[in-house]
Amino acid sequence: MSAKARETMRKSIVYFGLTVAGAVVLFPFFWMVVTAFKEPGHAFTAEILPSKPTLDNFRRVLADYGFARYFANSVVVASVAAFFATLFATLAGYAFAKKEFVGRDKLFGFLLASLMIPGMMYVVPQFAIINKLGWMNTYRAMIVPHLANVFGLFLMRQYMTTIPSELLDAARIDGAGEWQVFRTIMVPLSVPIIATLFLLTFQFHWNNFLWQLIVTNVERLYTVPVGLAMFKSAHEELYTLKMAGSCISVLPIAALFFFAQRYFIEGMTMGAVKG
Amino acid sequence: MHAPTSRGASSRTPHVPSGSASRGKRMRLKSNLTAYAFLAPFLAIFAIFLAFPVFYSLFLALHRVPADSFDIFGGLEFVGLANFAKLLADVRFWWSVLMTLYYAGLIIPSGIAVSLALALLLNNRLRGVAAYRSAFFMPYVLDMLVVGIVWTLIYSPHVGVLVRILENFGITTFSERGFLGTPASAMPSVVLANVLKGAGFGMILYLSAIQNIPPSLYEAAAIDGATRWQRFRRITLPLVKPITFFMIIIGTISALNAFVEVYAMTGGGPNVDVGGRALGATWVTGYYVFDTFYNQFRLGYAAAMSYVLLALTLVVTFLNRRFLRAEV
Repeated sequence: MSAKARETMRKSIVYFGLTVAGAVVLFPFFWMVVTAFKEPGHAFTAEILPSKPTLDNFRRVLADYGFARYFANSVVVASVAAFFATLFATLAGYAFAKKEFVGRDKLFGFLLASLMIPGMMYVVPQFAIINKLGWMNTYRAMIVPHLANVFGLFLMRQYMTTIPSELLDAARIDGAGEWQVFRTIMVPLSVPIIATLFLLTFQFHWNNFLWQLIVTNVERLYTVPVGLAMFKSAHEELYTLKMAGSCISVLPIAALFFFAQRYFIEGMTMGAVKG
Repeated sequence: MHAPTSRGASSRTPHVPSGSASRGKRMRLKSNLTAYAFLAPFLAIFAIFLAFPVFYSLFLALHRVPADSFDIFGGLEFVGLANFAKLLADVRFWWSVLMTLYYAGLIIPSGIAVSLALALLLNNRLRGVAAYRSAFFMPYVLDMLVVGIVWTLIYSPHVGVLVRILENFGITTFSERGFLGTPASAMPSVVLANVLKGAGFGMILYLSAIQNIPPSLYEAAAIDGATRWQRFRRITLPLVKPITFFMIIIGTISALNAFVEVYAMTGGGPNVDVGGRALGATWVTGYYVFDTFYNQFRLGYAAAMSYVLLALTLVVTFLNRRFLRAEV
């Protein structure tokens, strides 16, 4: 076999492997979408693609089963939480990256060490606190406990350390106050990492199912995943409806990923590579 | 566990940068104050909702929390280590630890293998590779709960596509109870769903590690007559070892935390008969903590269990560091 033929052969094998792998990895999502378009109650039919695709499932979960409301709740919770989590991490990241203060390195090490603690550990005491504060069944119960994002703080600090301090000093010499320096120099120069963290925290809160389940027990406050879980146990066999609900649940994050995948991939793997 | 206050901090500051002593001190104080002002919102949330709970959880673990009481701050009966003693004698707990180990033993190697395989496939300068990379990574950002629910449909005995495909080949092992309802296949099925969802993350890490390997190494090996497999075995694998260690550590931590995938797919079941006891084939510790807390409302016991989880996490991380790192 000539070298060229061998190269073509190798390329075909790689493409074949990639395509098979892609089909396997994406199969559940493909199946979710086609099932959602099948007639209600007919989750399994001999044909793979629905012969008479229908929007009935979507209409029913949105209108009859409250998913429109759940979706609005998810949007509120994820947006507000992402905004504040990003804001707090940006403020704190700036202090860690550019400020001298007593106990800085110890404090940072301590915060990072907390990443080792299993998330399950927080569930019971956080619930007790929320309960004591009288926050059960509120948006703030879903949002506030997760606003200190240590991983986000780490990303912020890493990024901001690379911004030259001379720029900040120059602004100070020109008479800018501390807040002004932060607002007019630091924030504009950190837009990429701020955007990344906003997306990551939005995604985290959109998928923060366990916590949202724990602090809500009234239907009007269900988020999409909680509504889906309740629907799952209540209507064991209505798979076409469940798949329509699932589509609604993943759509926003899938769309964000489609348009901003670079931010997602870099943000999620940055800490791992550097840490 | 509280942040040092700026006042207490500044009085301990030994050096004065420039100018008169008092002016330098005042500058220091001011700089500390501004720094902590920027930190304040983050630290406040951290202290109340992350640091305090770790200690409060220990407090709960040492008390009996009445199942009907919602006032879990006052009037609790101190029981010392009784919750931990009960835990040691709890068969369902030890079973859950065993299932967690089983889960970790399945998901860590298969996750590593799939991530590495995808990375090797992507490590080719071919047109369209970026699109494949996105496709492999996308499931990682989506909700585990939804992915689990979709897989319950795929694995279902009645309407599931996998059972139907196998039936076409005359295999009816799963026709009655499906993949998740059959004890032997339940855990591997949960793992498969999870590996396919999460592989994109490890894939990116492996890919960047592989692309950092100098091509000259491969060229030299090729000149020496090394086969493709030998080059992979002797150059690629050793050089991506740090990623493998990282994958083992986070794989262990996420196995100890495994909850949503089990909640979505099996609820800890199906039951198997172990010496006359019905125990769940996917009853992992993370799920047991949830069940104790959410379904049985035994907060003290759940807190004690979560402390054991923390201890296990620390032990495993330490062992990983000790034995795996030593080999690098």
